[in-house]
Amino acid sequence: MLEPMEPLDEDAKLMVRYRDGDADAFSTLYARHKGPLYRYLLRQVRNAGAASDLFQDVWSRLVATRSRYEARAKFATYLFHIAHNCTIDFFRRDLKMRRTARSDDADTQAEPEVPEYQRPDGIAEFAEQQSALLAALGALPQEQREAFLLHEETGLTIEEIARVTQVGVETAKSRLRYAIRKLKKSLLPAEIPVRRYGRERFEQHAINGTARRLG
Amino acid sequence: MEPPDDLDEYLRGDSALSRQYRRESAPTPPHALDRRVLGLSRGALGLSDGAHGPARRLTPWLAPLAFAASVLLSVALVLAIVFGPQTTQRVDDAPRLVRVAAHPDASANPPLNRRLQLYSSDPKLARAPSVWLADIAALRRAGRNSEADEELRRFHSAYPDYSTGDLAIRP
Repeated sequence: MLEPMEPLDEDAKLMVRYRDGDADAFSTLYARHKGPLYRYLLRQVRNAGAASDLFQDVWSRLVATRSRYEARAKFATYLFHIAHNCTIDFFRRDLKMRRTARSDDADTQAEPEVPEYQRPDGIAEFAEQQSALLAALGALPQEQREAFLLHEETGLTIEEIARVTQVGVETAKSRLRYAIRKLKKSLLPAEIPVRRYGRERFEQHAINGTARRLG
Repeated sequence: MEPPDDLDEYLRGDSALSRQYRRESAPTPPHALDRRVLGLSRGALGLSDGAHGPARRLTPWLAPLAFAASVLLSVALVLAIVFGPQTTQRVDDAPRLVRVAAHPDASANPPLNRRLQLYSSDPKLARAPSVWLADIAALRRAGRNSEADEELRRFHSAYPDYSTGDLAIRP
């Protein structure tokens, strides 16, 4: 449930103007939020086509419900609340479709209930094109990944993330904490080449020194 | 034992993790998707997809202007089709009408090879003797004797046996 909040932010004013018929206000609003929203969706569902469909769906819902818009919260929380709901719907549909497909194919051996976007082969394939950090982000549980993306892409606070995802503040905090802890580990392998380079250089110095002594 | 909490440090901003994330590629929606969403937003307000602010303000003027221009162009086209060819024909016919006036007999019996004058360089085929002589007589009456003499000389070379009467005599 969204609660009343502080004075209107600039984006909320734009949304009010759009609600009242100003199309240019929407263009400005769209330009500000399209990147963060697209990346949030793309990194959540990890499929460009599905992300594009969801992206359009989110904006469609925003447009369709504009007459009911009231600037009670930061606009980003409103927009990403819609995005969160669209994403949850997508995951539910995806799960349901695969369950139906499995029940249709009775001869096939039952597989564990793992969504396609979380299958190890799918994750590995996706990760090949990504950095270690993005691959680690993709491997996070969906709730933790979402908490991290909401903070990084929109700068939402833990309270705002809790509002968007409709959970308690402590839950949101816990999700973000776990996400950070796991992602920080993904940064560690980047130090290995530096260490290796240091050791190689040390070994080269040692060889040179030995050669000089022998020479 | 609880591991050290990195959350507070992370939330303070500018953590190594955030810096690394910002260094990653930042994909944006395809332009086609941009157009679709913006079209959607305008469509919901009852505006056309491609209409922007200034264009919308010009629309009330442009519509009647375009209509008036279309009507004007249509009328001009119709006038050109209906009256255009006739005007051209009158211009072409003007020299013939002048000659007819200069020689009343020619109007009664127009020469059969009159049309050849336009297509042939052969002096014999260029003009019939009677028409040619009528032209020479007209030149004489107009006092343009040197031209009449020149025409008469050409007439004799074309029709040596043809009698020219008193046309050779200057008034």
